[in-house]
Amino acid sequence: MSAAGTGAPRRRPFFLPFLLVSLIAAGLFLAALGDVLHYSVRLFIPGSIEVGGFTLANFARLLRPIYRTVLLATLIISFLTAIFTLLLGYPVAYALVRVRRGWVRSLLIVLAITPLFTGEIVRTYAWILVLGTNGFINSILKALGIIGAPLSMLYTSFGVILALVQFSMPVMIMLLATAISHVDRSCERAAANLGASPLMVFWRVTLPLTTPGIVSGAVVIFAWTMSAFSTPQLIGGGKVLMLSNLVYLEGLTNLDFPLAAALSLLALVVAIGSLGLMRPAIARLERKATLY
Amino acid sequence: MRTDNEAAPHPPPAADPAANAVELVGVSKNFGAVTAVHAVTLAIRRGEVLTLLGPSGCGKTTLLNIVAGFEEPTRGRILIDGRDVTLTPPHLRDTGMVFQNYALFPHMNVFENVAFGLGMRRMPKARIATEVGRALEMVKLEGLGERRVRQLSGGQQQRVALARAIVIQPKVLLLDEPLSALDKNLRGQMQIELKELHDRTGLTTVFVTHDQGEALSLSDRIVVLNRGEIQQIAAPIELYRHPANGFVASFIGDINHLPPAECQRCGSDILFRLAPTIELAMPARADLALRDGRKAHIFVRPEHLRIADGAGEGRNRVLCQVVTHVYQGTHTLTRVEAVGLGLLQLRIPGGEIIERAPPGSRIVVTIDLDEATVLAEA
Repeated sequence: MSAAGTGAPRRRPFFLPFLLVSLIAAGLFLAALGDVLHYSVRLFIPGSIEVGGFTLANFARLLRPIYRTVLLATLIISFLTAIFTLLLGYPVAYALVRVRRGWVRSLLIVLAITPLFTGEIVRTYAWILVLGTNGFINSILKALGIIGAPLSMLYTSFGVILALVQFSMPVMIMLLATAISHVDRSCERAAANLGASPLMVFWRVTLPLTTPGIVSGAVVIFAWTMSAFSTPQLIGGGKVLMLSNLVYLEGLTNLDFPLAAALSLLALVVAIGSLGLMRPAIARLERKATLY
Repeated sequence: MRTDNEAAPHPPPAADPAANAVELVGVSKNFGAVTAVHAVTLAIRRGEVLTLLGPSGCGKTTLLNIVAGFEEPTRGRILIDGRDVTLTPPHLRDTGMVFQNYALFPHMNVFENVAFGLGMRRMPKARIATEVGRALEMVKLEGLGERRVRQLSGGQQQRVALARAIVIQPKVLLLDEPLSALDKNLRGQMQIELKELHDRTGLTTVFVTHDQGEALSLSDRIVVLNRGEIQQIAAPIELYRHPANGFVASFIGDINHLPPAECQRCGSDILFRLAPTIELAMPARADLALRDGRKAHIFVRPEHLRIADGAGEGRNRVLCQVVTHVYQGTHTLTRVEAVGLGLLQLRIPGGEIIERAPPGSRIVVTIDLDEATVLAEA
């Protein structure tokens, strides 16, 4: 305490308590991660939840084709979910921000946000009712005579992605709506004034200025979908497997904790790694769209 | 309402309607129950600088937005170059607007900003480069094409906005309080540059401002607006010397509004009785329909009040008590109080008055009505 008496009393930064909270959270997370790390390098003893000595065999097991297939499927499903959520979410977010009539806006907000209030399981079961062989869509199509035999949508990647997109929409819409509401309307007016048709104004001004929102929306949904569990579990029904389902299968069905731990680490590394790979592109996009 | 047609020498007198770049015919705009613009009819002559001047909320920006097409009038028509554009969307109107906040495209550099309008007109790339180069030169930004707009100072951003608007050679240049975001010195400099730019381009210009100084120094004609209605259209000098009503008189420059006076003709003079002891005289003027016994409002500029020399009796002399002096460099604004007249403001060259007549002292003030504005009470 050499500073005492030499100068003005120092003010303690007001954010110290907040820092403490995040330190506790980080500590808990690191403890859990440490445990996973620990399990991943122990030997699996079939038929027992006890583990053996230290080994790297679990990681060698990850190289089997089945795991590569699931990893690839997870990446593809996450990517497609992010893209489709973006494509479907943008118009909704745009309307949400730009519609002038109060009641239309309220309706859009309710439609966009309410899915958040129903749990993931409830929503997923609703999708089972909609997508099933005798579900809503098939009944209607059959009644209209458009199809003879029911379409199989349940237990397909299509069904899983559909449900994941719906699940992701509220978050995407909120991120995009924030970005869109920050676009300076006078920039759009300036573009129109200079001869840009409404479509051109959108393409050359609105869309580029919302790039940060588009990027963060897509990245968040991609990373989020990478760890999706209950939707692929219930709608995939074991036929569509994502990494989390595999972790669950190995850990809680086969009681192979070491392999489950190694898979979890793989999922983590892949999620972080793919975000890292996207970074240069993201940075370029955001630089191009930096605001004042 | 006075509509002045002979005062401005700069644009030639308009005989045929094609001489008007923009015409507003009976334009009104309501926002819900609020009337922003009421029955405005206005012809903007080709090549002139016309200023829309008024306090905030007077409807001047709404009028500009109606010309640009960002607002649809509730009633009335807009013609640009004689063509009815009332229902034409903004991007097909060929107007060039400079926004109050400049509204530069933050994701484009200076060149791309200025080139935007030309690109929309599908001009060949090589010609765009030439035109943008010329426009940037005109606003003294040559060589800064590669800069990002957020690296520019406020004054430079203003110039980019100007270049972007003039490069498309619009039928009318619309300036929405373009100088209000600049600091005072820069504003004066930009005023001069705007004037030079207009001399070089000859673009018909509509300039919106609430700053009467800006309006007086930049305009060929000024439209004074209040509460959505035109108060007067006139050249700056005419407006300053002969305001059409009390609002214009008080809004343009400083003015002393004397208490209502009763008129009486007396030979070739008109006498105004302002208070039991105060009578002011003015030679009768043809433009004043003042009958005996009618009430009149007199507006006198501070520079038309003088300190009387000597103490002798004379015309229009009023005994006053000095209240304060505000020294302004080239002149001093002196406030005095006269019984029956209230507070008056004098504009006295130099600053000697501060020593000569300290607050509290009594002086005699001559009120020169030759230049005064006299309005009969309705």
